[in-house]
This record gives sequence, C-alpha cells and structure tokens, in this order.
Amino acid sequence: MSILGGGIFKGMAVTLRNFIGSYFYKERLTTNDYEWRAKDKLPQSIGDYPKEEGEQLRDTTTVNHYSRNFPMLLHDTGEPMDTIRCVACQICERECPPQCIYIEKSTEKKENADGKPQFYPAKFDIDVSVCMSCQICVEVCPFDAIVMNSQFELSTPNRFGGLLVRRDDLLKSNDYYHKIHPQEAAARDQKMVADKAAKEAKKKAAAEKAKAAAEARAAAAAEAEAKEDTE
Amino acid sequence: MSFELIKDILLATVPLLVIFPSLFAFTTWMERKALARIQNRIGPNKTGIPCTRIGLFGLGQPAADGIKMIFKEDIVPRGADKLFHLLAPILALIPAMLILCFLPLEFPWGKFISGKVQAFMLDSAVIFFFAISGLATLAIFMAGWASRNKYSLLGGMRAVAQMVSYEIPLLLSAVVVVMMVGSLNAKEIADAQTGFNWFVFTPWGLAAFVIFFIAALAETNRSPFDLPEAESEIIAGYFTEYSGFKFALFFLGEYIAMFAISGLAVTLFLGAGDGPFLTSAPWLSVVWFIAKIFGLIAVMIWLRGTLPRLRVDQLMAFAWKFLLPLSIFNILLAGLTHFALDARVAATSDAILYSIHAPHTHSGEANHEHPKPVAGQKEAVMGALHYTDKNWMGAMKWFSKAALKGHAQSRSILGWGFGIWAMSLIVLYVMAKGLDNVSRSTAKPREYLYAE
Amino acid sequence: MTQEITFWVLAVIAVLGALVAVRRRNLIHGVFALMIFFASLSGLFLLLLAEFIAAVQILVYIGAVGILLLFAIMLTERVTGDDARDITSRGSFWGWAAALAVLVVLLLPAIQGADLSQVAKPINPSVKALGQQMMEPYVVTLEVLALLLTAALIGAVAASQGGEKTKEDTDDA
Repeated sequence: MSILGGGIFKGMAVTLRNFIGSYFYKERLTTNDYEWRAKDKLPQSIGDYPKEEGEQLRDTTTVNHYSRNFPMLLHDTGEPMDTIRCVACQICERECPPQCIYIEKSTEKKENADGKPQFYPAKFDIDVSVCMSCQICVEVCPFDAIVMNSQFELSTPNRFGGLLVRRDDLLKSNDYYHKIHPQEAAARDQKMVADKAAKEAKKKAAAEKAKAAAEARAAAAAEAEAKEDTE
Repeated sequence: MSFELIKDILLATVPLLVIFPSLFAFTTWMERKALARIQNRIGPNKTGIPCTRIGLFGLGQPAADGIKMIFKEDIVPRGADKLFHLLAPILALIPAMLILCFLPLEFPWGKFISGKVQAFMLDSAVIFFFAISGLATLAIFMAGWASRNKYSLLGGMRAVAQMVSYEIPLLLSAVVVVMMVGSLNAKEIADAQTGFNWFVFTPWGLAAFVIFFIAALAETNRSPFDLPEAESEIIAGYFTEYSGFKFALFFLGEYIAMFAISGLAVTLFLGAGDGPFLTSAPWLSVVWFIAKIFGLIAVMIWLRGTLPRLRVDQLMAFAWKFLLPLSIFNILLAGLTHFALDARVAATSDAILYSIHAPHTHSGEANHEHPKPVAGQKEAVMGALHYTDKNWMGAMKWFSKAALKGHAQSRSILGWGFGIWAMSLIVLYVMAKGLDNVSRSTAKPREYLYAE
Repeated sequence: MTQEITFWVLAVIAVLGALVAVRRRNLIHGVFALMIFFASLSGLFLLLLAEFIAAVQILVYIGAVGILLLFAIMLTERVTGDDARDITSRGSFWGWAAALAVLVVLLLPAIQGADLSQVAKPINPSVKALGQQMMEPYVVTLEVLALLLTAALIGAVAASQGGEKTKEDTDDA
C-alpha cells in the first residue's frame, strides 16, 4: 500500500533537489558556458577546422569517451591515402538512412596497408547537414574503416559547400581514434586482430585441407595408374 | 458612443491586454530557466541588453524570441485550407483573452469605471468562463484539420477528445464551490472567502482543488497531459504546420489560457485577491491575485519538469474512471457535511442566542446555569451564524473565537465540525485510493521482440 | 443606438452563418459556419439580458453539439473535405419555397402590426430566478428530463457494447 500520489511527490522532490542544487554545486551542471567569441571568424568549410587532435578536444569536460557526433574514415599509421582501410565497397552508402554518404570507387587497384591491391574511394563525401549521427555506417562496415568522431565544432557560415566533408578531411589516424575513444578503439583493434587470426587459421586449415586432398588425389591417381599398369 | 463609455471600456480592458501578455513573456523565460535548472542546465543567460555583454540572466530572451517569430517566414502548406489555417491561431487567442475578463481582479483604478462597463462581472461568470474556454478546443481542431497534415489531424483529434473528457471533472469540481456560495458570480465567490477562509482549507474544497488543478493541466494541454503536441510521437501535433507569427499567437493563446484557468482556480479555491495587509492597502488585492496565479504556474512548470507523458488509454481512464466519480462523490460529500453543519447549528442556534441573551433578559434561576457573557462573544456567534451557509472555514473560525471566550455551545459545535472535517478527509482519501485501484489500467505494453 | 448597431451586426452574421452552413458542400466548413451562427445567437441572447441562456447556448451548442458534429465527421471518409463545391440541387426550388413560406408565417404578426406584448409576459431572466423556477414549479419536469437523458446514456453504452462478440473482441479482452 503506497500513498496515493506519493510517487509524484517523490519525483517532485528529486526535481526540486536538482533545481536548487544546480545553483550551489557547479559540478552538477552538465553543460559548460561556451566561449562566445563574436570577433572570431568561422571557417568557410568544416575541413578548415584544425585537424590536430588536441585542438578539437580543447574542452575535455563536455566530450567524454562515449560521445559521438559525426563519422570519420580511419587509416593506419603512415601516409593517409596509402593506409586507408576503406575499400569503397559502398555498403555504408546503401545502408545510410538519410543517404548522406556519397562514394565514388577508384578505377584501378592500389596496395593497402597489408600490401594487398584493393580499390579505394576516389571520392568519399558526407553531408553534415543531413547526417543524423545514427552510427549505422559504423555497424555495417566490414573493414572497420568508418567510426564515429566526437568533434563538435562544425559550424560554418557557408551553408552550401561548407557542410559537405570531403574524403581528405574525413581521414583520421587510428591513433587519433585511440585518443578520443580509448576503450572502443582497443576493443576494435582486438577484434580486428582476432578476425585476422581466425581468417588466417581458416586459410591455413583450408590450405592444409586442399593439400591433403591433393595428396589423396595424387595417391589415388598413382594407385589407379599402378592398377592400370598391372592390367 | 460617448467619450465616457470609451474611456470606461479602455480602462477596463487595456490593463488586461497589457498585464497578461507581458506576464506571458516573463513566464516563458521562467519556464525555460526552471526546466533548465531541473535538468541541471543553465538555461537562457546570454540575451540581455543588445550590443553589450550584459546578460541579465537571459531576461531579453522573450523579446528576442518575439522578434524572431515576427520576422520568420509564414509557411502555409499547399494543400491547407488557407482561411482556416489563418483563423485558427486567432480563434485560439480570442477565447483565452475573453475569459480573463471574468476574473474578479480589482484594479485600483476600478473606481473610475462606471458601473455600466463592468458588464463582465456577470451573474453567471463561472458558467461563461467554462463555456468560452471550451472554444479553444475548436481552434485546436481547426488548426489540426486546416493544416492538411496527418500529424496535425492526429493532434487535433487527440486534443478534442482530451479536452472534452477533462472539461467534465473541471466543471464538477467547480460546482462544489458554486453550491456552497450559492452564486455563479465570481465576485461573490471571492467575497465569501475573505479573511483567509479559502475553500481549499475545507476537505471537499481541497479535493475539488486537486481535481480542478489536474483537469486544468489537461485542459490547457500541459505536461503530463500534452498528448496533442507530443513531440516524440506526432512531431508537434496541431502546431506542426505553423511557423512564425501564427505559431507565436498559438503559444500566446496557450499561456493566456493557462493564466485564465489558474485565475479561476485562485478565484474558486484560493480566496481570489485575499491576503494580508489588505485593510491598509486595498490595491494589494491585485498583487495577491497575480502572485497566486504565478504560484500555480510555477507548480505547473515544476510538474512539467517532473512527470512523463501519459498514454492515451491512461489519459481517458484517468478522466472517466477516476476524476469523474471522485468529483461526483465530492459534491455528494460536500452537500452532506454542509447540511450536517447547517442542521447542527440550526438545532442549537436558538440555544446559542438564548445562552448569550439569557443573562440579560431573564434574571433569576437562569443566571447561575449560564456563565456570565463575555464581551464580544455575541458578535463572534453572530459572525459564525452569518458564515454557516456560505463558508465552513469562516464559521469555524468564528465559532472557535466564541469558544475561546468560553462559550460552551460553540465549543461543542467546533469539536463536532472538526471531527467531520477529519472524517471527510479520510473518506475522500479512501474513496480516491479505491478508485485508483479499480481504474488502474491492467493493459501491459506489448513486449517487443528486439527489446533488450 | 449602440444596442441597435450590435443587434444588426449580430443578426447579419447569424443569417450569413446559417446560409453558409446550409450551402457549403465541405462538411467541416459547414460545421464551423453553424458555430458562428450559434455564437451570434448567443450574442443576441446577451443583448436581451438573458445571460444564462447565452452561456448555455455557447456551452451546449458550440461546446457539445458542435464537437459532436466534428466527431461524427471525423469518423467519415470526408475528413479532409476535398469537395469544396457549393450545393446545387435540382429540387432547390421547393426548398426555397418552403423556407420562404415559413418566414412569411413567422413574420405575419409583425406585418399585421399585432401587439406582441400581450403574448409573452416579461420574466426575470437572471440565473437565480431561473434556478428557482427550475427547482420549484418545474422540478418534476427537470427530473424526468434527467431520467430520460440517463436512460439515453445507458442505452448508448448498451448499444455500443452489445452485439455478437467476435473472436477478435474476446481476444482483446
């Protein structure tokens, strides 16, 4: 037996505590006063924002490890276009609910980080004004090439071209990913290594199987030959 | 049309047109601030004096919003009914402004107005209030229908169903007060509560006030009853296709309706303009009135920050299975207790008067049976008798005054009265609890296959 | 003078509202025109100092009957009201003739210059007097009406609840 309407009063006590507490305890405030710089000139394109990791994470209190805002493309250590993970398979383009991804596949193959010849995106554009940060592209990517960035300074006075982010601006190193989302990046790397190992083991097994099969076939053929010879 | 008449009309209406819209601006700021603080945010704090860095706690926000609204593009959907799309926000604002006139606000310049113009102090002000506030439903339906949008129409239908359902408990809870005072005149209702004899202090008045307040929340589409404009379900309900100044008008109408219905709650249950220091400064009555309205608005904002939205079936079940029976039962209880007190007082009133008069009129053996009359005792009893048919609290206060002065009959009535007071509170609570158990929806939400 | 102006304004609005309500094919437009008619009628009652009737006119006709009509329309397929043409019917002549005949009959006493003050006794239109009339001489009528309405209400509930229970109904319950 609870008191009729007691839940409402309990809830109201909680909100009252928040209301009063937010005036006295600064640590309660989840948002920070954003530095307003009227004289500052905004970049004409999102790509013009500083690319260096430290710059984007100036405000460490508002961006935590779980924040996500907008996708970025990953590359491994080295020259970005030489180590890009994306192979322009266009799965993310098809899966994107608001269809904000635009990919053009390259015509010829190029060696990727593993030294394997692969296609690469000749064009990879994402429209910030359309993206809804759903992270579905991240989920569907079989190559772990696209992940969420937590950069939030994306405003620009140029509303036509300025909100379209090009491939080169989307490319970020895996180290940067480790810096902004350490746990997630570590888990992803682990998974990739495991996947690779599993793949190799499978390949090895397949090769062994093929070898065994070939041997058996050879043995059978030799036997048959021997039989033929005896006849 | 003489000059006098025009002057009177302006004096009577312009203050309402100035005070309430400016209160609206302040309320939007207050609401945003309070909601922000409830969610541990700061709220508007930058918009102050233009071209400077002075924030003024964001008090310039309503003005900035207003300027923005006026200059925004007014978009009318191609398939919309153009005329109705334009008329709906106007029709939403007019009844809201009109019902403000029925509130018994006593402005200090009221004495400059000749009696003729106080036409809104009608004998049936309360009925008029409900009649005209019901027109807001039509405006909302009009907006929903004229927009030619699924979400708008859904919102409009929800609004109509909700407002029609909640109008009934709203009216029935007001009936209690009307029954007690014996008048539909707002001024008389206010007068019956002077001297802190507010109806909210009586058990049935308390229950009626709670019912009225809940129904008023639903009537003005405030959270947790904001289904007609539920953002997460139907975008913005009937607002969906409105932008710019039309949207601002809707917004204004909604807030004015909130003020008006809180004003009626203040009139009916919270003693209208009654408050301290009225004898030395009668103009304070307006201040108290508006302060009380603001108190109720603050509770509305607080509730908005606290409660989640109801489901449609819960909304309807709550109105028809909980509030409606409870308010009918409340009327019954109010009548019973009221007549019980009346009967009790009537049965003893002769004795009361006799006991006071006796020492003066009858000398001899009566003298030693009755205590000597105390100064002011008779006035106290007369005051109580004056109040018995109008206001329970008033009567009780006078009786307690007489009892303190050593009047035995008053003491017995007082004890009896407060016994009934406690009893009816208990009965009301048990009734509400029982209704709650009965009316709780047993429907469980569907189990989703992919839910975690 | 002001009263006369008010009367004529209200009267013209009332007649126009009624005409639009009858002639529009679009049902929702018709309902709203009907409500304008009711509102101006309420204004006319106010002009006659019958404030209670005016309030009840708004409360019952606009607040209840109008909403009921809207509900009924919402259940039909014509909710969107695409068909916004005016009604033109072949039999309209007889309709006009009948309407005119009724009008003439109603106006006949006025045309003849009859003394209407003899017909109706002036009554006190205040709320209190009305309430007293309802509670004292006409209390039985009131109660019978209330009973009738209650019966209608119960009947409506029974009608909506009744009928054969299909499998779907029992599944829902």
